[in-house]
Amino acid sequence: MIATCFSAPAAVSRRVRAYFAPVNRAEQRPVLFDPAQQGSFDLDHPPAPWINLGFIQNFARKALSKSSAIAAGVPAAPLEQVRESIGAQVSLQFLAWTKLSMALATASQHMNAIVPGAPAAAVQSGSTATTLVLSANDAAGFAAGQIVAVDLDYCGQTGYIGTPITGAYLRQPLTDVDYVRRITFNTGLVAQVTGSALHLALPLAGGAPVAGAKVQTIAGFTDREGGSFYHEWSGLFVMEGTQSERIFFHYPRLQPMESAEESALPLAAKGQGRLERVVLNAQFLALPVTDPLDNERIVCYRSFLPASNALV
Amino acid sequence: MQNAKDSFYIALRNRLAALNSERTILLRGAVRPGILVEDAEAPFSQLPNDIYIVRWLGHGADIDLASTLVAEECEIVYGTCGCQTYGGLDRGRALTQMDAELLAILQPFSAPKWDYCTQPPTALLTKVFWDEPVFSPAVAQRDRLTRSAKIMLYSYQEGGES
Repeated sequence: MIATCFSAPAAVSRRVRAYFAPVNRAEQRPVLFDPAQQGSFDLDHPPAPWINLGFIQNFARKALSKSSAIAAGVPAAPLEQVRESIGAQVSLQFLAWTKLSMALATASQHMNAIVPGAPAAAVQSGSTATTLVLSANDAAGFAAGQIVAVDLDYCGQTGYIGTPITGAYLRQPLTDVDYVRRITFNTGLVAQVTGSALHLALPLAGGAPVAGAKVQTIAGFTDREGGSFYHEWSGLFVMEGTQSERIFFHYPRLQPMESAEESALPLAAKGQGRLERVVLNAQFLALPVTDPLDNERIVCYRSFLPASNALV
Repeated sequence: MQNAKDSFYIALRNRLAALNSERTILLRGAVRPGILVEDAEAPFSQLPNDIYIVRWLGHGADIDLASTLVAEECEIVYGTCGCQTYGGLDRGRALTQMDAELLAILQPFSAPKWDYCTQPPTALLTKVFWDEPVFSPAVAQRDRLTRSAKIMLYSYQEGGES
């Protein structure tokens, strides 16, 4: 007789994947993940606006919520429980250095190191998240292999800066016309230059450039110890089991909470070499949101999608 | 565990055929993808070159789970003398290619489990899965280079499975 179901033991997983999506700071709107609708997404190609940060290691969750008992009677005995506070922290290590992983691994503003004297070329209409249309003259100034930042000129605005991903908060106006491109998350590697277009190796994190955006060459990325700005992202961490079951940890609002810190992991066993892999340590503080389902304040969702035919 | 072992072998065989259709062996009058199970063939006086030989070693079980987890240690042995065109001077390159192909066909690290004792084969409910391979150093025996990789294969026992 053919079995139609099985008792599934605890999930066996090899690695954890991380996905982040920008919180709209001006509107205080995080990105919510619905496992019932989106839970079976292709792990290599997450649904927009989630950005795939790849595999991470040493993923650890820590609940900081506190409960206490209300006692009554003589002698006193617990009558009810109340939640005194809610909170959570997440820590992990990124295995790759990218614009986003580096920014997420520091509780400070993250900046693009603009090449001195690099001109800002106007992006033409018809551009997409992977193709930047320029004038032929401007395109000739770029070459495959360059890293570029794409965003608007700074025009003296204050408040949250960066379109559509917030990269800074300004209390007072500055005079640096390149400031928005200095802090933007719209960065990418030029894979090819054809005629009047730059073709990027990966889509811009913020999608197609807004009207009026300009593109400028950058050399790399910089963060600082200090400052007062904290990034805020929605986080999604996925463990896929060997039977294709999935465990999701969704934090609608995460802010990096530790200064930039790295760990050096030996490539070979002890005594077999001195090469070390430098990984980015990241620690996040989870902030609360109001669940639209019942108006409860929460900081995290844990979801489980069982394997096919597994007893539940 | 037999279903798991069969499913693991068939998964690797199909992946190898898709990856490198030229890696074949003529065995018992038939040209097959270049991977075989040692205990399912007549004994070899010398292991054939340029193919993968699957050898089953240790066995274990964890019976304290909702479904019993069985494990079998697998050793995949392969060797090459290079090709005649280059007088065997390419045997290092040939072994490197076999290393890469083995790593490629082992991914993803899971495969559907089938019962191949029925005709046609019956799809079972769970998947077989395995850990990353541990490669041994290459061994030179005259003009032959060999290597092996060990993999731990796991499977949940389903109702009615032996």
